[in-house]
Amino acid sequence: MIRGSTVARVIALIVLGAGAAAISNLTASTERKLAWIGSYPRALEIGAPEGTPPAATPTVAPASPAPATPVPAPGGAPEMDVSKTFPPHPDKASVEIEPADVELLYGRRTLFLDARRSSVYAEGHIAGARTFPVWESDIDARVKSLYEEGLDQQAPIVVYCSGGDCEDSHMLAEKLYMVGFDNILIYKDGFPDWQKRGLPVNRGANP
Amino acid sequence: MVAAIPKVLDPPSFAHMVYNYRLAPGGLVNALGLALPWVELFAGAALILGVWKREAAILIGIMLLVFIVAIGVNLARGHAVDCGCFNVTSVGKSREELLADMRGVLIRDVGLLLLVAHVLAATRPPKWNRPLS
Repeated sequence: MIRGSTVARVIALIVLGAGAAAISNLTASTERKLAWIGSYPRALEIGAPEGTPPAATPTVAPASPAPATPVPAPGGAPEMDVSKTFPPHPDKASVEIEPADVELLYGRRTLFLDARRSSVYAEGHIAGARTFPVWESDIDARVKSLYEEGLDQQAPIVVYCSGGDCEDSHMLAEKLYMVGFDNILIYKDGFPDWQKRGLPVNRGANP
Repeated sequence: MVAAIPKVLDPPSFAHMVYNYRLAPGGLVNALGLALPWVELFAGAALILGVWKREAAILIGIMLLVFIVAIGVNLARGHAVDCGCFNVTSVGKSREELLADMRGVLIRDVGLLLLVAHVLAATRPPKWNRPLS
């Protein structure tokens, strides 16, 4: 049998830990801070989020022959109506796209958002992509601020993270969808694939 | 304590690891990511300093049991996760590598649990001092 004083001390250790965590979180920088109550509706689900087709299934009409060459220079891309090739999908938060489509959209100056941690973003990101770290405390403020920029909510936005099992881009897509962006495209293979293809990369905190 | 420090320094990354286990309700993920490392740190410090040794061992034992169950459930359902034990940075391992790591972690945690049992046995109050059950 465990004595009452033992239980009280165990509880005291837990309370001490929680108190220290609270103080640490209060004094933490934005990148290290967390809201105590999380909002992750799919926290108990395993696998690809509902509404997102498997990565191997192209769901967007193929955008002309896959460009095997590097990203075309701004203005030099072939004429194409992005809104027709990548139509909005108001019935689901996001659609996964293939690397060839990502390159094409990059050439069309589409907005790219990086869902990884800001420290990882600073180490290297798709040139021009903006940082939207879903695991940092100011993500909702960033999403709100993007909404307030008055962008066309039907226009494609490419979101990426670290590829593989990384779901940060899906989480960011959900947040953007909730404020009304209807055309979020997920670059499933993410930044590792971009690097592997030798496409433009920037370092530091700025796009 | 060694395991707690990287988590204390980067709660969002640890919360991300907790999320990856897919066992904690969404509302609890951040709270666990924030509090668990500090509880781990205090329990480890108490054990090392010899303060409330038995209580610290009980707490560590409970946490180890939770980790064993979390890893075990994910191994059983084939869901590969980075354990987030001593490092909160994902290193991009393959699914097979992660599953192999998880099996290793399970064995290590069972070993640590045996050490906890040893501490509990060593700090057991003498018979004459035990309450009547």
